[in-house]
Amino acid sequence: MSKENVLFQVEEDELDRPVQEDEGAGSRKHLIFTVDDLKIGIDAEQVVEIQNSYAATYLPMMPDYILGIFNMRGQIIPIMDIRLRLGKLPAEEGILIVIDYNNNQLGIQVDSVDLMLDIPNDSIVPIPSQSAQKLVSGMCTLPDGSGTMLVLDCEQLIARGYGD
Amino acid sequence: MSNNDILDMYIYETNTLLEQLESIVLDAEKENTFSQDNVNEIFRIMHTIKGSSAMMEFDTLARVSHRIEDMFFLIREGTMSVVKDEDRPALFDVMLHSVDYFREEMEKVEAEQPLNEDVDSFLGNINSLIAKIKGEEIPAEPAPQTAAAPAAAPAAPSVPPAQTSEGSAEFPYGLRVFFDEGCGMENLRAFMLVTSVQGFCADADFTYQPAGVESDSSLSETVIEHGFLLQFRSEADRARAVPIVMTAGSVHSYEEQNYVPAPPPAAEPAPAAQEAAPAAQKAPAAPAAQATAQQHQQGQKESLISVGLSKLDQLSAIVGEIVITEAMVTASPDLKGLHLDAFSKSARQLRKLTDELQDVSMSLRMIPVSNTFQKMNRIVRDMCKKLNKQVKLTLVGENTEVDKTIVDSIGDPIMHMVRNSMDHGIEENVQDRIDAGKDPVGEILLSAQDTGSEVIIQISDDGAGVNDEAVLAKAIRNGIASADVEYSHKEILNFLMAPGFSTNAQVTEFSGRGVGMDVVKSGVESLGGSVSITSEQGRGMTTIMRIPLTMAIMDGMEVSVGHSIFTIPINNIRSSIKLTEADILHDSVNGEMVKMLDGYYPVIRARDFYNLPGGAEKIEDGILMWLESGDCSYCLFVDELLGEQQIVVKPLPAYVNNFDIKNYGITGCSILGDGNISIILDAGGLYAAARNL
Repeated sequence: MSKENVLFQVEEDELDRPVQEDEGAGSRKHLIFTVDDLKIGIDAEQVVEIQNSYAATYLPMMPDYILGIFNMRGQIIPIMDIRLRLGKLPAEEGILIVIDYNNNQLGIQVDSVDLMLDIPNDSIVPIPSQSAQKLVSGMCTLPDGSGTMLVLDCEQLIARGYGD
Repeated sequence: MSNNDILDMYIYETNTLLEQLESIVLDAEKENTFSQDNVNEIFRIMHTIKGSSAMMEFDTLARVSHRIEDMFFLIREGTMSVVKDEDRPALFDVMLHSVDYFREEMEKVEAEQPLNEDVDSFLGNINSLIAKIKGEEIPAEPAPQTAAAPAAAPAAPSVPPAQTSEGSAEFPYGLRVFFDEGCGMENLRAFMLVTSVQGFCADADFTYQPAGVESDSSLSETVIEHGFLLQFRSEADRARAVPIVMTAGSVHSYEEQNYVPAPPPAAEPAPAAQEAAPAAQKAPAAPAAQATAQQHQQGQKESLISVGLSKLDQLSAIVGEIVITEAMVTASPDLKGLHLDAFSKSARQLRKLTDELQDVSMSLRMIPVSNTFQKMNRIVRDMCKKLNKQVKLTLVGENTEVDKTIVDSIGDPIMHMVRNSMDHGIEENVQDRIDAGKDPVGEILLSAQDTGSEVIIQISDDGAGVNDEAVLAKAIRNGIASADVEYSHKEILNFLMAPGFSTNAQVTEFSGRGVGMDVVKSGVESLGGSVSITSEQGRGMTTIMRIPLTMAIMDGMEVSVGHSIFTIPINNIRSSIKLTEADILHDSVNGEMVKMLDGYYPVIRARDFYNLPGGAEKIEDGILMWLESGDCSYCLFVDELLGEQQIVVKPLPAYVNNFDIKNYGITGCSILGDGNISIILDAGGLYAAARNL
C-alpha cells in the first residue's frame, strides 16, 4: 500500500517538472489585437472567446463607451468600445473579444485580432511614468520584432466602472 | 460523508427539532397543559438532541438535554397531573428558555465559536423544577438518571460468539464493534468508523455489515442489536483498525473474530442481516408510543431531501434557458412557410413538457410562510409578558407558498412590524381599550394571500392607531418634514417609513432603535415589492406588503422605443391609451400631464428620459402606458406595444450595475425568443428617477 503511494508520488513529480520549468522561464500566452494602430496584448487566460458577429442591445444611462449588452448563449455580457474607452474616435466596425476577469465578463470591441504569442514575463517592462497610458500595465517589444505591445490592465478596465 | 457534512446535518436536524419543540410548547401553553402525545414528542426530541450532541461531543448540550429528558420522563410516567398548576408557567418558561439556549448554541456551533460552558444556573432551574415535580411522586418511582437510560435504549445487546460463520473467506478478519447504550445515531457512528478505516485501507480491502448505514437510520437498531461488523482482507489492516475503534467516541466494546468456514455456508449471514432490517422497521408494533413517533419521523425523513439552494438556482436557470431555446427552435425563421405536420405536433408536445418542467422547477423553490409566521407567536408571547399586555396573534393563510428567497427575507420585516404593533400599537392600559369599547385582549392579525402574481402580507393591530399630530411633530423635530407645509394623512404615514424615524420616546428592548420601518421598507423593496400603511386613530394600524411571488419569472408587456425593447411588469400596468398632442397639458415647469378618469397624471417620455437614439416624437405616433407602483401613478410614453409575454428575469452584469443603472428604473433584462435582449423596467424606480431630474 505504502509502496504504491511512493511510486505514485514519483510519477507525479515527473509530471510536474516540465510545467514548473515552463513557469520558471516565465512566459505567458498573450492575445494581441489592434486598436487604432496600437498593438495591445491581453493574457490569453482571460480570453473567453472571440466573436465576429454580435448584436448589441443599447443600454440607456451608461457612459458612451459602453455600447450595450449582448446575449452570449444565455449570458448577458456588456460590450465596451475600447476605442472610446481610450478616448479615441469610434470605428465603423470591429471584433469582440470576451474576457473574464475574476468572474466579471466583459466584451471589448477592437479593430482586429492579430495573433497569439508567447511573451516572456521578464520582457514586459513598466511603462514610463511620464507617458502614462490609460489602462495599460506594462509594455514589451514583440519577440518577432514586429513592434511594441501594450499590456492591457484588465483590473483597471473592469474596476473603472465605479469612478467615471 | 465528511465530518463537516455530519456537522451540517446535526445542525440542520437539531434546528428542525427545536422549531418543532417551540411550536409544541407554545400551543401547549395556551391550553396550560401538555398532552401525552406532546410529552412523548418532547421526550423524543430531547432524546435525539442528547444523543447527537453527545456524538458531536458537545457535552454541555448533551447535559442540558439529558436533564430535560429526565424531566419529561417523570411527566410521561405520571402524566401532566404531576406538575402542579402553579409550576406550569415555570415549566413552559424553562422549555422556551431551553429552545433559545439550544438555538444560541447552534449558532455558535455553526460559527465555530466555543460553546457556553456555564450552564449550571440553567441546569439548576431544571433541577429545581424536577424536584418540584418529584415532590408529588411516590418514592417507588425510579431515579431519573437510571430511568432515562433504559428507556433510551430498550434493546440490550446480546453477546455474540467469538468464532463465527458470518463473513466470507474473502474477508476473513472481522472486527465487531458495539456502541454505548443509548448513545443514539448508531448508524452514523458506524459510518464514521468506516470513513476512518477508509483512511488507510482501500475500499476493496474491507467490507462492513450492515451496509448502507450512512443513509438508513433504521439500521441503528441492527447495530445496537448485533454490533457493527468490519471485515478485512488482511490481519494487518484489522490490527490497524483496532486503535481507531478504541479511540472513536461512544464505543462500548469490540471483539475480533475470525472467519471459520462452517457447514452452513456463507449464505446465512446475509439473510440474517436482511431479517434484522425489516424487524427493525416492524418493531414499532410494540406498544411504546415513542417507537411509533420515531417511526413516523423516519417516514417523513425518507420523503424529504434537502438540496442546496444554489443547485435549485442552477436548475431554474437552465430551465429558463430551455424555455427560451424551445421558443427559438419552434419559431425559427427557417421554418417559415413550411407545412410540417409532424414537426408541429412534436413541437406542441415539447412545449407542453417544457411548460410542465418550468412549473415543477418553480414549485421546488416554493415553501409555505408558516414557519416565519409561527415564529411571531413566540415574539408576541414574550412581549406580552414583558410589556404586561394581553394580545392574541391570529394567523391567516399561513400555508401560502412563496419563493424561498422571499420567505427568508420577509421574516425580519414581519418581525419588525409585529414588534411595532406590540410596542406602539396596542394600548398600554387595558382600561383604555375597555373605554374605547374594544375587547380588553388586543389582536394582531398576520395574513398572507396569494393573488397569483404577488403575495400580500398584511399585519394589522386593533390598537390606538397612528397619532398624526405626534408623528408630524416628530417628523418636524427630526428635520424630515417642514413646519410650514400642510401634509395629508397619507404623507404623514409615509414619514413613519423615513430613515431614522421612531415615534416612541423611549428606546425599548424590542423596538424604537430608530431603525425599523425604513428597514422594512427597503427590505421589501429589494424584493421588488412595496409597503403601504393605513391607520385610523383609535382603530389601529395596518401595514400591507406586496411582494411579487417569484422574482425569476414574470409576466411582462413588451414595448418598443426606437430600436430598444423594454419589458414592463404586467402588475404595474393599469391601461394603455392612444392620445393626441392636443390631450397633453403643460404645467409651469415644462412638465407634461394628461387627464385620466379621476385626475391628472404626469407623462414621462421613455425616449427623452433615457436619451434613446430613436423613437416616436409625437404623442399620436406612440402610445401611453398608464403605470402604477406603490403610491406613484403616471404615464410612460412609448412607441408601440409588442405583446404580453412570460419572461425569465436575468440580472444585469455586475459591471453594468456599477453605473447605478438601478436608480434609473432598470432592474434587469430578459432574453427574447429571437435571442434579442429586452430591458426590464421598474415602474416605481423610473418615476422616482424622473422626479429627481
